[in-house]
Amino acid sequence: MSDIAILLEHISKSYRLTHQPYSSLKGILLSMFRYRRRIEVHQALSDVNLVIRRGETVGLIGINGSGKSTLLAIIAWVIRPTAGRVQVNGRVAPLLQLGVGFHPDLTGVENVYFNGIILGLTRQQITERLPSIVRFAELEEFIDTPVRAYSSGMVLRLGFAVAVHTDPEIILMDEVLAVGDEAFQHKCLRKIQEFQREGRTILLVSHDMNQVRQVATRTVWLHQGRVMADGDTDEVVAQYLEFTAEMEKQTF
Amino acid sequence: MVNELRELYRYRELLWTLVLRELRVRYKNSYLGFFWSLIVPLVTVAVLTIVFKRVMGMVIPNYSAYVLAAYLPWMYFQTALLDSSQSVLAQIQLVKKVYFPREVLPLAAVLANLIHFALALLVFFVYLLGYVHAPLLPSVVLLPVLVVFQTLLIAGLSLFISCLNVFYEDTKYIVSIGLQLMFYLVPVIYFSEQVYHAQLASPEWQRWIYLVYHLNPIAMLMTAYRKILLPPITVQQVGAVQKQTFASLPMDWALLAVACAVSVLVFVLGYAFFNQRKWEFAEQP
Repeated sequence: MSDIAILLEHISKSYRLTHQPYSSLKGILLSMFRYRRRIEVHQALSDVNLVIRRGETVGLIGINGSGKSTLLAIIAWVIRPTAGRVQVNGRVAPLLQLGVGFHPDLTGVENVYFNGIILGLTRQQITERLPSIVRFAELEEFIDTPVRAYSSGMVLRLGFAVAVHTDPEIILMDEVLAVGDEAFQHKCLRKIQEFQREGRTILLVSHDMNQVRQVATRTVWLHQGRVMADGDTDEVVAQYLEFTAEMEKQTF
Repeated sequence: MVNELRELYRYRELLWTLVLRELRVRYKNSYLGFFWSLIVPLVTVAVLTIVFKRVMGMVIPNYSAYVLAAYLPWMYFQTALLDSSQSVLAQIQLVKKVYFPREVLPLAAVLANLIHFALALLVFFVYLLGYVHAPLLPSVVLLPVLVVFQTLLIAGLSLFISCLNVFYEDTKYIVSIGLQLMFYLVPVIYFSEQVYHAQLASPEWQRWIYLVYHLNPIAMLMTAYRKILLPPITVQQVGAVQKQTFASLPMDWALLAVACAVSVLVFVLGYAFFNQRKWEFAEQP
């Protein structure tokens, strides 16, 4: 086995954007009065090259719309790139956003099974790990209650607990930690550090530069679908902050 | 397509979990639970029986059994298509984050309805043997064959509809209207013999109308359900002007073969269409 976890070669992704989407009859009628329908090609990623080695924790930063989420989706293999080659060695576990994949009418346990299976566990594996999942989520008393009765923090903890128990080799985190309270964030941080010690690969999309500085061993800055900088976290974050400060100055 | 099917097989546990989840969720907050799946067709058939026997003057012994034999497969067809039309869109957040064969979503909706249909058929046999005291025909052994081909037909349509609904949400409304109209184009409340003897046609056209009507695979399958489950029957309709009698027609095996072939074709085309566009789902804003 090579020590490369993720290999992206010349990845490009373009979306076709219709400026008058057929969202309503009114929209179609209005667009008839234009000379032509503007179909614009939005280049979400252009020629991204990235090699991530096993055990690295990589922060992905950039302003909104810079292509971070698209890049994560390509690594998770839910979006196919327009051009380029993707190679992912090892099982990928995306950490889901609050409540995604949970059914409010089902109990915590039932949702754990569904979530675990969708992330690639077998029924038997989940049964074995269930006590540990429940303990991690601190939901011993509520695990047989329908999820609709949970607070958002409880749902978040349960989702995170399932994901970290899938024994993933590559973990994708897209702004998932921003919602939890202080205690939960600390717990996640400890888990991330544990993953780092175990040599797992982590990709973290975040707007919280303190968080990135805290966990990322390397940081990639994306801007308009291109890699602007890639390297030591402190340096890249400093460059990025300088850039955003400059942008702010221009708008005021 | 072979590769896609192999990948689907690899994710069979997910498919099965989704089916169980659908079954569990549907009646979770109701006291009667699964019985609603039986109460709805039974009440509908009771109303239809009263209307057609008492008001419209159909003289048929055990009319309700004949209606039920076609109405249960129709309900399977209808609810499966309506459920699956929303299936991908309802899980779009999951689709955007996690890799899994996307077809498990519509297929789970179909399979959950298949299980409901199977249970409803059991109740139908209890009704048939216990209440109507009808003899069980040897042709009943063909029932699983009809169910399999109907399921392929439904699965093919579901894949097509659920995929299209991600891009154009008008789809589900069109499907819902289409099903309402389709109800009158399949033999549930009337008999296919009445189509053969339809008054709008001259005698030489009869055969053609019957043929075209049954080129619709779901219409042919429902005629077939009736003919394999229940003995042939002579339909008498006491109309305002005259009394009409329609002799029972034998099963048209060639037309049934065509319906089965079309069902397989619909599945293959529906799946091919779905596969072609399923990796664009996650790109929807």
